[in-house]
Amino acid sequence: MERLRTAFNTICIGGAAIVWLFISALIAFPFLWLKSKNRDRAVRKFVYVQSCGIVFFMRLASKAFRVEKAERPQGSCVVVANHASALDLYTISAFRFNNVVYITKGWVFKLPFFRYVMKGAGYVDAETTSPTEMLGICKQAVQKGCDIVLFPQGTRKDPRARFKSGAFYLAEQLNLPVVPIAIVGTHKMLSVGSFWIKPAKIVLKAFPAKYPSDYPGELGHLHMAQDVKKQVMDFVDKEEFA
Amino acid sequence: MITREEIIKRTNDALKKEFEFTDAQLTPTAQLRDDLCLDSLDAVDMVVVLEQQFGVTLRQGYDLRTIVTLNDLYDFIEKLARTHNK
Repeated sequence: MERLRTAFNTICIGGAAIVWLFISALIAFPFLWLKSKNRDRAVRKFVYVQSCGIVFFMRLASKAFRVEKAERPQGSCVVVANHASALDLYTISAFRFNNVVYITKGWVFKLPFFRYVMKGAGYVDAETTSPTEMLGICKQAVQKGCDIVLFPQGTRKDPRARFKSGAFYLAEQLNLPVVPIAIVGTHKMLSVGSFWIKPAKIVLKAFPAKYPSDYPGELGHLHMAQDVKKQVMDFVDKEEFA
Repeated sequence: MITREEIIKRTNDALKKEFEFTDAQLTPTAQLRDDLCLDSLDAVDMVVVLEQQFGVTLRQGYDLRTIVTLNDLYDFIEKLARTHNK
């Protein structure tokens, strides 16, 4: 039964998701592009629309799907989440973050089609951008009302990898709250290196914001990273073994 | 005078606590950047962690870019400890 569902998910839902990506690119993108005076904002909105569609297909492909929201802080924030699947990127839209700048690894900027979206939306390549440059870009993005999204583990290969402190340093420097998000089950639905979409229980949870002022000292960002990782991974463990 | 064994133990304990390394990862030949995946911000954090651990200032007057492996780091701290004791 599980195999049959996986085949259905991959062929029918996966196929529909790909069709959605193309159709939304043909319809939504030109519409948003023409409607918006701010071109990079239009691309970010387009990514949000596409992501909402993918989350809908994830819901169809899942065994169970739950989103637990938390109160959003006023103004911009830094969103951090654990990362174990390519689907994680889309799940952020489930929390209605619709104007975000992703800071990602360089290889995404080399993918055909995606690279134009990445550049057009003003996303940041973490590997080729210096920390000072990144700080400047994020400052400008925040002035435009964007939220910054990072996956501080920096890899999908080790779901328990350390949360690197860069995201938290950024929050500290820009004096922005950090919204931790726990993503459960996406690596079971679409694991690294696989194209089979397996039925899995998906839980997405946003925690109340954490503030850099609560982590004083030179190593405040490092301690914030450790604290957020513990909170996120404790929730992931609890849900995975439930 | 602090011994090399003590330097290694205190350095490794600090790195395990703050950067979640395991004993298996912390071999003397491990490269900070390539094997331990420490980025530039991690390197700055590591310096602060070691300053707090050994009660010395590492940020001024030293070229820390020459430290590539953990062994280089132990050597550097040992040299610094000797200089402080003179």
